[in-house]
Amino acid sequence: MSDTTSVTFRVHRYKQGDEDPHHDRFAVEVGPRTTVLDALTAIRRTQDPTLTLRHSCFHASCGTCGMKVNDHEVLACVTNVRELGTDEVRVEPLDNAPVVSDLVVDMGPFYARFDVAERPLVRESELVPGSHTAAGVPQSMRYEDCIECGICVSACPIAGTDPAYLGPAALAAIDRVRQEPRGVDVGPIMRLADDPHAAWRCHLAFECTEACPSNVDPAGHIMQLRRSLFARGWRRPSAEPQGARR
Amino acid sequence: MTERVAGADRRVERQGRRRGVMGWVDVRGRRLGGWAFILNRLTGLGVLFYLYLHLIVLSQLAVGPSAWDSLLRNWFLNPVFLLLDVVLLAGLVIHGLNGVRLALVGFGIVIDRQKALLLAFGVLGAILIVIGALRFISDAGAK
Amino acid sequence: MALQTEDPGMSRQAPVERWAPEERDTLPGVGWGWQALTGIAVLFLVTLHMIANHFVVTGGLRDYQQVIDYITNPIILPLETLFLIVVSWHGLLGLRAVIFDFGLSTRAERAVTRVLLVVWVATMVYGVALLAILVTRR
Repeated sequence: MSDTTSVTFRVHRYKQGDEDPHHDRFAVEVGPRTTVLDALTAIRRTQDPTLTLRHSCFHASCGTCGMKVNDHEVLACVTNVRELGTDEVRVEPLDNAPVVSDLVVDMGPFYARFDVAERPLVRESELVPGSHTAAGVPQSMRYEDCIECGICVSACPIAGTDPAYLGPAALAAIDRVRQEPRGVDVGPIMRLADDPHAAWRCHLAFECTEACPSNVDPAGHIMQLRRSLFARGWRRPSAEPQGARR
Repeated sequence: MTERVAGADRRVERQGRRRGVMGWVDVRGRRLGGWAFILNRLTGLGVLFYLYLHLIVLSQLAVGPSAWDSLLRNWFLNPVFLLLDVVLLAGLVIHGLNGVRLALVGFGIVIDRQKALLLAFGVLGAILIVIGALRFISDAGAK
Repeated sequence: MALQTEDPGMSRQAPVERWAPEERDTLPGVGWGWQALTGIAVLFLVTLHMIANHFVVTGGLRDYQQVIDYITNPIILPLETLFLIVVSWHGLLGLRAVIFDFGLSTRAERAVTRVLLVVWVATMVYGVALLAILVTRR
């Protein structure tokens, strides 16, 4: 325990029914490999059991510990405290989502938007034919990059003012379906993307792409959606004959 | 050890944090593209305001030669106004170059290299603003 | 109330509605296309305008006679008129996009569009009248 230093965590606190949120300060002993999530669970364990946070996998796969650390949206489980380089670490819940408690936001509106794309979880395009698989497993699977953490929506400046904006994650998911329709008619979802509160509402700040912890590049997907919509010559995609083009 | 954070009554519970127009101009945690967004918005609104101011001022031309020329002598050749002209030029350059970026990226012509494009335009814009500013200042000395 | 739970706190949450596109009479991408098209036109015209009015003139600004000489030039007059039309269209369309980012209702959006259209027409009337006055001063 020789290589530990004390770091102050300034943590956003809010319980339902409170008038305003406030910040609480906690001193935490931090080692070279301590993550923000480690520190927060330590606070919960030894200092304040009422601190609410959400996490699951500890390795950037589940997308449940998305939060703002020193003004940047990150996954707390893979954010090293020392690498932040600040004496005080400010921890806040994601923006642009209702706060349920302390660091936990309501992901309901996010999922409700995300689900409209009806994108399958597994990619087909990148399965390598004949690649090695474990005994009894017929084929390997490649999941989609998006871990549905909500970080992109938090980073998006437009999601902050237009509550109806479909948002980067859902638009990226729509573009994935456009890229791999798998026999599905993409007309209806391209019509979703063509909505005024969808692909055209983006103003190219690329904050979502910068913040994404999983290399989804939502803004790049939105631009590809636009290119596709533009190539259709401003016609409503739903006006096209049934059946996907690609 | 508790300190209050500004916020309306139970607002975070209903809408979440940083909802609203302040999110547009809040530079904390913003990266290069976010800055481009903020600058594009501010310069756009600023130049639009200037456009109407300009159109109103031009009505003095209809009044006659003396009205315009005295306006020129007493106001527009003043160093303060020349400084404002440099601000205007900077706004036009930033908005114009960023607009080209938005057109190139927004139509899906350049997607993968958008960040390089942003950096290149940033450098080009800075050079154009400096050249323009020097030109304005040297012109001011000529009249 | 099929969704009622034992925890009263849960019922405070508003039910999450499925996101659905709106029925509209305009194609949303068109506004963006116009903005890009007028933007490129403005870029050329404003460059011309700035060079002609500030960079090739001694002292950086035109006096009355210089303005009259400039505006009555048969090549400049249509270009400056086009500039007036396009730059105000681009500016007001941009303002519309900024206002729409607040997430207005379709009805409010229509009202904003109408008001801005009136502002644009008024700008045209004012600008063309001013140009006409100046052209006759030659």
